[in-house]
Amino acid sequence: MSARAQVAEIGYAPLVAALAALALVAALASVAVGYARLDVSAALADAFAGRPTAAAVVLEQIRLPRAALGAMVGFSLGLAGAALQGLLRNPLADPGVIGVSGGAALGAVVVFYSGLAGAFALAMPLGGVAGAIAAALLLYALVGRGAGTMTLILAGVTVNSFAGALTALALNLSPNPYAAYEIMFWLMGSLADRSLPQLWLALPLTVAGWALLIASAPALDALTLGEDTAASLGFDLGRLRAQLVAGAALAVGAAVAVTGAIGFVGLVAPHLLRPLVGNRPGRLLLVSGLGGAIILLVADVVVRLIPVHPELKLGVATALIGAPLLYGLIDRMRREA
Amino acid sequence: MTDGGARREARSFNSATTAGPVRRSDAGTISRSSRASGGAPLHPSPLRGGAFPRKVGRGGGFAGALLLTGLIATLSPAFAKPLRVVSLNLCADELALRLADPGVVKSVTWLSQDPRSANMATEAAALPANDGHVEEALAYRPDLVLVGPFADPASIALLRQVGAPVAEVGAPQTFDGVRRQIRDLAAALGEPERGERLVADMDARLARVAIDPSRSRLKAVVLRPNGFTVGPGSLVDEILARAGLDNLAARLDIAADDQVPLETVALLGADILILDRDEASAPSLADAILDHPAIAALAQRMTVVSLPARLWTCGGPEVAEAVERLAAAAAAATQ
Repeated sequence: MSARAQVAEIGYAPLVAALAALALVAALASVAVGYARLDVSAALADAFAGRPTAAAVVLEQIRLPRAALGAMVGFSLGLAGAALQGLLRNPLADPGVIGVSGGAALGAVVVFYSGLAGAFALAMPLGGVAGAIAAALLLYALVGRGAGTMTLILAGVTVNSFAGALTALALNLSPNPYAAYEIMFWLMGSLADRSLPQLWLALPLTVAGWALLIASAPALDALTLGEDTAASLGFDLGRLRAQLVAGAALAVGAAVAVTGAIGFVGLVAPHLLRPLVGNRPGRLLLVSGLGGAIILLVADVVVRLIPVHPELKLGVATALIGAPLLYGLIDRMRREA
Repeated sequence: MTDGGARREARSFNSATTAGPVRRSDAGTISRSSRASGGAPLHPSPLRGGAFPRKVGRGGGFAGALLLTGLIATLSPAFAKPLRVVSLNLCADELALRLADPGVVKSVTWLSQDPRSANMATEAAALPANDGHVEEALAYRPDLVLVGPFADPASIALLRQVGAPVAEVGAPQTFDGVRRQIRDLAAALGEPERGERLVADMDARLARVAIDPSRSRLKAVVLRPNGFTVGPGSLVDEILARAGLDNLAARLDIAADDQVPLETVALLGADILILDRDEASAPSLADAILDHPAIAALAQRMTVVSLPARLWTCGGPEVAEAVERLAAAAAAATQ
């Protein structure tokens, strides 16, 4: 297969290094691109010297958190997509498609608009995680193990639309007149005006999720041989499922609580990179995370360069790339079936 | 119309806000229409001088009370006071409560009852609230219905169809417009003297705001929820000018009300950042931008002033207090 030949040429470590370098370039581009003219080097000098100039404030409080959050959220979505696809052995399992992101958005919305977010610092990301877990459990109850693609997608549609409706309901119940108009942020996602404290709050939970997901790599590779074979190799499938659901919920839930649900990243990144790792789901995890970070950072640069006012939501940009891809995937699966 | 106004109307007029934040209506327009003006445009033209010819009474088929009121009005303007007024707009609520006799206003919007966002909350809380729907207004068999500048044309048409006189309260963009609006509504309510008194009080307060002309004017920029600022040609721009401030938004290529990125606000080089913020309001992303850590960091470099939205959302007499507070903040900042 040409894919395997490519892997032999590129190699896993150089691939990871190349993607990490690309992600870094995308992050630097995200810092450099903005709405106002900012001398980044001067701002950096001010920031290091501790001079609270306006330029330093913009760099530290607006540009850097935005780039870092883009990388963090993109990595979470790409990684969670690859992990869920490995677990369900289904290339359509994306946190957005199957409703985990939607559940996370609902959890965050309930916590934020009810005022619970002010109760303790971690309330927002934990609300997102709780919503993501609830959606994942609901999905698992509907799909069970070894369900077909059709069941998975239908279950995802159900969970997604239910979570979306409840999100709208929660927003309408808020006494703040603006709240009802903020559903676009939660359903489509955005990195606009996010802040450094939000990054610090979400990061620990997200990193814990990453660790759980990446640690599942050997089990995911074994799972490609079938559930019985994987079990005979000593992998506890029940534990693997719990580990992946918890990992995806932590990573995606905490991310969505800051940026809203951004679709298709977890679908596109694994799909594009799978051939480069020889179709091994274990190796796809880290690679797909980096790919997700690149996609999201580039999308976030694009929405700031497009002269559309107010700023385009990130989910719009990712859907423009992702939806045709999803369509193509479904079409191919239909023809292969 | 300001973003703040659009926001307040957001809940009470389901379709009203979709018009967007920039639609500016004629300063202080209040028009009165009734069923009799049948074929008139949905946005009636302003009637100047504060006199409202009442045309109720031609054509039959509507409530007897209305007919009676209309006939009386036609015969003798001295008895032209409407007795059952329902307001479907926050700004109209407040003006009507200031101008009308107690008991005349039968219902106001729920927005007016929140002391955090309304100026006449105590008075409003004693009245039944409405959500800005026409059917709610009709339940009171009103002889005058007050609607806002973004009222659904279909709602106004419906009110006319059933013979309920409608007065439209505008969103004045100048102090002259504010005065005209007060006088026009006072006339519509049959209380022209009270209108004159309200205008005189406002002007007296404005006259007491002393600006030291020798002092250089401070540069200010306004940040409202959702990242909106206020450009030239708006009421808020005039409020800033009266408080002795130069509006930096004039340097940006923006409309009267427009969204600006937070980093642009940070880098404009303002001396004073004016936040349109209600304390202790329920959380929203729109308001969260005013609590962004970048603003706290900028507070080391410039004066940050919070001005409650209730003082400058409606073009009512309360704008005098907005001028007073900003002038005081400017004086404190230059010392």
